[in-house]
Amino acid sequence: MVRILVGTRKGLFIFVAGDERRDWTLEGPHLVGWEVFHAVLDPRDGSIHAATNSPVYGATVHRSTDLGVSWTRAEELGLPEESGLTLEKTWHVEPGREDENGRLWLGGAPGVLFRSDDGGTSWEAVESLVSHETRDRWHPGAGGMCCHSIQLDPLSPERMYVGISAAGVFRSEDGGGSWTPANQGTAADFLPDPFPPVGQCVHKLLVHPQQPERLWQQNHCGVYRSDDRGEQWQRLEGNGLPSGFGFPLALDPREPDTAFVVPEVGAENRVTPDGRLGVYRTRDAGASWELASNGLPEPAWVAVMREGFSFDRLDPFGVYLGTQSGSVFVSADGGESWSEAASQLPPILSVEAVAWP
Amino acid sequence: MAVVLLPSLLATEAGGQQRFELDAGTVAEALRALPIVDLIFDERGELRPLVNVYVDGVDLRDRDGLETALAGSEEIRLVGAVAGGGTN
Repeated sequence: MVRILVGTRKGLFIFVAGDERRDWTLEGPHLVGWEVFHAVLDPRDGSIHAATNSPVYGATVHRSTDLGVSWTRAEELGLPEESGLTLEKTWHVEPGREDENGRLWLGGAPGVLFRSDDGGTSWEAVESLVSHETRDRWHPGAGGMCCHSIQLDPLSPERMYVGISAAGVFRSEDGGGSWTPANQGTAADFLPDPFPPVGQCVHKLLVHPQQPERLWQQNHCGVYRSDDRGEQWQRLEGNGLPSGFGFPLALDPREPDTAFVVPEVGAENRVTPDGRLGVYRTRDAGASWELASNGLPEPAWVAVMREGFSFDRLDPFGVYLGTQSGSVFVSADGGESWSEAASQLPPILSVEAVAWP
Repeated sequence: MAVVLLPSLLATEAGGQQRFELDAGTVAEALRALPIVDLIFDERGELRPLVNVYVDGVDLRDRDGLETALAGSEEIRLVGAVAGGGTN
């Protein structure tokens, strides 16, 4: 069985299908009235965690231990008073490693990370990032200064990464105790110095699960790959991609040379280029890109948000995307062909797919 | 006892309870006794700017704010600010 957790501006929609990933049944909507920036199913215990926001009632996290039937809100989230910062939004929940019982990570704005050690009941701000020595050089962009990417190295228990818009990528070698900027080679074309140590606008960061020294990054200024844990980045577009600008990113869970992006025209025209919903795939580590949009709508001028792209671990693996126009598209064959699983949903903010026994 | 009435989202978050009867000396005391206190006050203890509070139909801003005294029979109504036509 496969579940797609679709976070929207108006609640959480869950779609369920068998492993053939064809006929989808809706569960929900859940969390009615909340903007669900991201929701994830924790493979360790089957609980769902959702980063939930309201323009009136603030930012929080909800969790469900019964697949969405009932929900509990986390204890109040907050940042240390001496930081002068206040929590603006919650953006991304990342379950801890298999042997880290009860641990979860939560990214938010303004450029903050929280850790829970009790399954999401309570959250504590990660002080080393709140007071990072470079914070005064982070400059929020249109999307705020959101910590949207949290990646754990599956082979090194103390190594993890965060991606923060308008701040860049940071790596920790001590489980979040300290953070080193990892932005060398990534451009910040909007700054006087286009290659500063920090200030790059990463839009999405992923670690390859089979080859965790390999990182992929969709940035405001290009698509990048690193083969050395973010020490150095290589810019990859100009070889089949219509644009280096975009937000979402997906991988092949078994093949480290394969990645998917959904480019947009540019920062000033945030729709897919060439009048189509274009998914682009590389199979040679970014040396070349090809259109992988068989079955996706055309003509189309749409947008896929940074969390609106996901992949599962089945064989063949599935790729999933949700549009701001409220459609969910599924490829059950690694991007070879696509079909629409749902439409007419509220604007989609996030898609997470998980195979569930 | 003062009565506090919650809008639907807050009532859901309060376990489905929309009406609370509370013994409180001020509006602040009444609101801080609610199980959704984190949703109406921010992390610094300030009332969130888009949460409107009416005491017997009068905006808290036109009374004494959160320190408005309660005699014991008031109706306190919480309303999310009207914001139709925005991006939501």
